[in-house]
Amino acid sequence: MEQYEWMVGYTPQTEWIDKRGLLVWLAEVSNQLGSGLYLVSLYFNSMWGMLISLLIIVVLKCGFHLAHLSQPLKFWRMALKPRTSWLARGFIFLALFIGVGAIQLAFSYWLPGTAWEVVFKVAAGIMAILVAAYTGFMMNYINGIPFWNSAILPLLFVSLSVSSGLAGAIAIGLFGVSMDIVAAVAGIRMLLILHTFLLIIYFWSATYMGPTGKRSVKELIQGRIAPALWLGVVLCGTFIPLAIFVHSYVTGESSVSLLITAISCVLIGVFSFNYCLLKGALYGPLIPT
Amino acid sequence: MVRWGMVIDLKRCIGCYSCMVGCKQEHFLPPNIFWTRLLISETGEYPQVTNHVYPVLCNHCKEAICVKVCPSGSTDQRDDGIVNIDYDKCVGCGYCVVACPYQQRTIYNDSKTGYFSAQGLTELEVIGQKLYPLKPGTVVKCDFCKEKIEEGIRKGLNPGVDREATPACINNCPVKARVFGNLSDPNSKVSILIRQRKGFQLHPEFGTDPSVYYID
Repeated sequence: MEQYEWMVGYTPQTEWIDKRGLLVWLAEVSNQLGSGLYLVSLYFNSMWGMLISLLIIVVLKCGFHLAHLSQPLKFWRMALKPRTSWLARGFIFLALFIGVGAIQLAFSYWLPGTAWEVVFKVAAGIMAILVAAYTGFMMNYINGIPFWNSAILPLLFVSLSVSSGLAGAIAIGLFGVSMDIVAAVAGIRMLLILHTFLLIIYFWSATYMGPTGKRSVKELIQGRIAPALWLGVVLCGTFIPLAIFVHSYVTGESSVSLLITAISCVLIGVFSFNYCLLKGALYGPLIPT
Repeated sequence: MVRWGMVIDLKRCIGCYSCMVGCKQEHFLPPNIFWTRLLISETGEYPQVTNHVYPVLCNHCKEAICVKVCPSGSTDQRDDGIVNIDYDKCVGCGYCVVACPYQQRTIYNDSKTGYFSAQGLTELEVIGQKLYPLKPGTVVKCDFCKEKIEEGIRKGLNPGVDREATPACINNCPVKARVFGNLSDPNSKVSILIRQRKGFQLHPEFGTDPSVYYID
């Protein structure tokens, strides 16, 4: 956009998606994959799944966020204002999730079946849900971007996290790690349908968020970001995996190559959805136009 | 309790950019950093076209969303209503930059490239960085020339009335389109202008209660 158009026309949010902001996008995707995989692994009681998910959160999610910060050595300061800031709350959820998750893994490995293991599993599960949802609350709080001003956003993030977690669980299951692939496929089939509904409701409700919200949706549907929405979210993220999983349900069989295709498509969908969400965010004009 | 605020008379503003230049000079602001700007638009169709010129700056909102979202506590609100950034506490997460509905915050990253990138920093830019040190990797924005206000009050001057204690953009305005003063005082010039000429805030629907008012 030209300099003279800044805040005179609809102005895109760039801080969290352009240049260095791409790291925020990658951190969000890692967040959803990590927290979702942890929840799914907890359900299937897969140690490897839990370990991998914690590694995704610690190495990728935290790594991308630290790389994005202009003052990474002061990262601990981000926990100082949880009373009003969702980012500070998210930081605390994340720290607790990593801590509780690590303790839970230790209990599951050395003292399986004890009451403490159950306690830490429940606590880590709750933290994983909070980690998956906090980004939604954080974005929802920003009233300058009507496209994000939706109560569905945290729910959408949780559903996206679990579906990407299920895709991750199938992927590690294909590598021979103990994981109930059939149940995971059944789960992701249901979630993709639910997710599609949530997505439609989200976009529909965004059009009622004033002209700026409407413009964001228009940009996504037929504007500069349309390829990411139609090819990434709709085709790869929803249509292809749903077709494959429904096919496996109808025929009762699923080949490894088809599963890998479906998993890859789900992950592309997660990347694309987050990209659309960040790139489609617009500020309304400040002055009469 | 004092609450500093500003009234901008849109009828008087001629769009000369001297507020922008004055602000840049006062704070030695580097390239691409603006603490006040002019937004210009046109509405209507020829021959009935209206030209809108709006000077914009940090609104120092009473319910500042940037203060609420800042996770590190680097952005806070002083007792006099000025929204202040502590560069030592800022982590550069950008949440406040994204959250400000008026988009008046910028992350300042580059302290090496000046206005003449091929030759490095000029002598004046080096002096500027010493006199008004901004910390690279932190968020910057208009601070209502808080140093001038503080210094002026220490000297017993009245911000908004005495030049020495008044923000640079106001001193630089050749048509006196900007007025500065205490919004809490019903007899201050800003309060009278708001009352008499039906001052309005930019986008009150955001619920931030800006301290910058416009009259037209």
